[in-house]
Amino acid sequence: MATIVLDGVVKAYGKNPVVRGLSLEVHEGELLSLLGPSGCGKTTTLRMLAGLEHPDQGTIDIGGTRVAGPGVRVPPERRGLGMVFQSYAVWPNRSVEANVAYPLALRRLARSEISERVRTALRWVRLEAFAERMPHELSGGQLQRVALARALVSNPRVLLLDEPLSNLDAALREELRAELAALRERLGTTLVFVTHDQAEALALSDRIAVMNGGVLEQVDAPERLYHAPASAFVARFVGGANVLPGVVRDGVFHCAQSEATFALPNEVARSEGPATLVLRPEDLELGTEGTPLPLAARLFLGNSVEYRFAVGTSLLRVVAPPMEGVRTGQVLRIRARRARVFAAP
Amino acid sequence: MIRDGAWGARFGLSAWLVPVLFFGVGPLGVLWVRGLEFLVTRSDTAWSGEWGALSNTIVISTGASLLALGLGAPLALLLFRTDLPFRRVFGVLFTLPSAIPAFIWGMGWLSLASPRAGYLNRLWGTGPFDIYGVGGIAFVEGLSGLPFVLLAGAAALRRIDPALEEAARVCGASPFRALTTATLPLMLPSVLSGAVMVFLLTASSFGVPYLLGVSASPPTRVLTTRIYELVLMGGAEGLPRAMALATLLLGLTPIALGVMRWLGRGGRVRLGAGKGLSPRPMALGKARGPWVIAVSLVCAACIVLPLGALVLTSLQRSFGAPLSWESLTFTRWGSVLGSERARGALANSVVLATGAGVLVCGFGLSAAMLRRSSRGMVEALSVGPFSVPGTVLALALLVAFSRDWRFIAFERIAWVLALAHTPWLLLIAYAVKYLALGERNSSEGLAQLDLSLVEAARLSGAGPLRAFRDAALPVLRPALISAFVLAFLTCASEMTMSVLLVPAGSQVLGTLLFELQSYDDPAAAAVLACALVVLVLVGRGVLALGPRSSVEG
Repeated sequence: MATIVLDGVVKAYGKNPVVRGLSLEVHEGELLSLLGPSGCGKTTTLRMLAGLEHPDQGTIDIGGTRVAGPGVRVPPERRGLGMVFQSYAVWPNRSVEANVAYPLALRRLARSEISERVRTALRWVRLEAFAERMPHELSGGQLQRVALARALVSNPRVLLLDEPLSNLDAALREELRAELAALRERLGTTLVFVTHDQAEALALSDRIAVMNGGVLEQVDAPERLYHAPASAFVARFVGGANVLPGVVRDGVFHCAQSEATFALPNEVARSEGPATLVLRPEDLELGTEGTPLPLAARLFLGNSVEYRFAVGTSLLRVVAPPMEGVRTGQVLRIRARRARVFAAP
Repeated sequence: MIRDGAWGARFGLSAWLVPVLFFGVGPLGVLWVRGLEFLVTRSDTAWSGEWGALSNTIVISTGASLLALGLGAPLALLLFRTDLPFRRVFGVLFTLPSAIPAFIWGMGWLSLASPRAGYLNRLWGTGPFDIYGVGGIAFVEGLSGLPFVLLAGAAALRRIDPALEEAARVCGASPFRALTTATLPLMLPSVLSGAVMVFLLTASSFGVPYLLGVSASPPTRVLTTRIYELVLMGGAEGLPRAMALATLLLGLTPIALGVMRWLGRGGRVRLGAGKGLSPRPMALGKARGPWVIAVSLVCAACIVLPLGALVLTSLQRSFGAPLSWESLTFTRWGSVLGSERARGALANSVVLATGAGVLVCGFGLSAAMLRRSSRGMVEALSVGPFSVPGTVLALALLVAFSRDWRFIAFERIAWVLALAHTPWLLLIAYAVKYLALGERNSSEGLAQLDLSLVEAARLSGAGPLRAFRDAALPVLRPALISAFVLAFLTCASEMTMSVLLVPAGSQVLGTLLFELQSYDDPAAAAVLACALVVLVLVGRGVLALGPRSSVEG
């Protein structure tokens, strides 16, 4: 049974459409990421789920109940959701304990039960020792955990997370990501997670909904998204793939405005004519075979090296093991081990 | 149902607009139309005498703004761009002139430099000083407007990238040349804008021109004092003529605001983004000593001297009596402040200023919140009245509510709004005039408020009002407290509107001060003025130390 159903949801700010006919189901207990570049409508979608925005068209059902649609507008406080904001939104005038207790206090629970549940929630996020502290005494990561505890304390049926990790530094992000995964195992809540970080989405999600320009590009499990992107956009955004315009002729891809050609592996679907070639940087091979191109730049990445080439007006990136004695300007041969071809946009 | 958000906003907007239009814009509009009518239809009859008031107003205001500019711009550079010792202390002292009502500074200068009895004249014996007349008024107004130029200059200096000046140095300019060619031109629009503000405030000022102009011989009249005289003793012809003069005075406002806006635009284009600038103070080197002495002397002459004179006067039995240590006494303090009149006036002022403070905060906060949905209009309506001269606003309310307003709804329910000769009119005047304080402070508070704090409360289960109270209000509280205190202090010592609107037979602090000084007993007035200065200083001090630290704690 689907916990959340969005059907034909449209939202515009003034004349500026942000979400254009979005239909999506989030299953009970799953973690679904909304992934896309900034301005793709993912945060607006989340805010419509929360009840902070109202869709212009379409309907939203949560747990079989209509919460938004023509003539229906359930306010956020009556949707029974938890939400973690990008800016933490921890109330500066309340202690950690008071922040987490707030949703329960509004439900007029007994004081003993409130303190019991607050303690449990703080244990979940490992902040028991900080209950008495004020927010300005906490670090960014701790504040984010307070926000998480506050969102979880009332056992919401759905937890919404709006780029919860984007304001943290890399190490903290890693740590909180792991904690979030562990928490989710334990609680089994349905989670909707907004992010623009594809690594984060791939690591955490059961399924990922990739959005672009207010529409869904693809909804799939992380592996499928990575290995079988439905569009050049998904391939580029999720896998960091090279996207080259050109023409397919006799099983060979001819790049536009360039002499470069790529022989297509046999398993690749090859309708003849104008097309878009998608090549993952790690699927390309430098050696004695393939199209010759002069090396434009060389970026040392640690365990590998990124080699950059100019193909027409596009950039071609190849990630390969370090090679001795390669200089910029030197002509190297490039071969594609794997490739995907999409019809030209 | 679907659009209930929009309906809510529209309802809120009209709930805000109706009172503001009815009590603020409406009366001003009526006044303007009727004044214009008088100007057009009877411009030739017995009108020539009034042109002197207009030209005096313009001459005095120009003089005051030039003085404030000439003193304020160099001071801003010295206090906010150099390593002048004690610059922080000077910074606080030099903002005092605008915190304390101009009338009180006028009283101080009168004690010092009235032709025969002034302390300075008695000290010199020959009586070289005369504070009465056009020059004296411009002098006092210019000094009390000094902070507007100073603070405008400070704000500009904070935004100007010090690297611009350093670039000039690297190109080979001397420190002085770098200052005058790189920094000064960028600072100029801001300080000029401050000077225009001083022009507007001086043109609107009533107390000082009355004190130093009307009671002089021959009297010097300006628009505000002439309007006052016409309203109080002008007879049948007085009121329409006062309205005509008020229209002239009101006409100065948009001109001044237009000039300021124009200057502001020029300034904004050229100033840096203002992020991450760390201004390194310019070293004065060997000149530090002389500069400190010079600034101290200016400070002593402009601030310490008049306040000291006021205290001295308050300790005498009567102003003008021979000075000796034995004659100084605190007995006047007890008798003046304990008198029936003073206590009545204090009670009235406290009640009115509290009421006005609450209204200013409430309407100011709503205005700041409505601003987002109706951009320019609400802001203009709440900030506009602040630049309308108090005399004009008071006259407008006097005219609009001189007769009762009858409202009939549904043909049965009728009520009468009878505001003439009631304290309500004063309350309305205070609230309309100082609404800008509430709007400005609330806007700054709202700008700091992260809206997701409120949204988080909504998702926690709080309704819209509860979420506002629990999540937004604690963040806005310091801004609202500061708006309330500023409005309270300003209204408690307000004079210009009070003298026109106070109901016969009752007093507020401002009118009591005015009457004591003008008709009764300058020494008693000095006592009251000192008490007001203490009140203002305490209030400002609390404001400077109080609310900000409570957020952190």
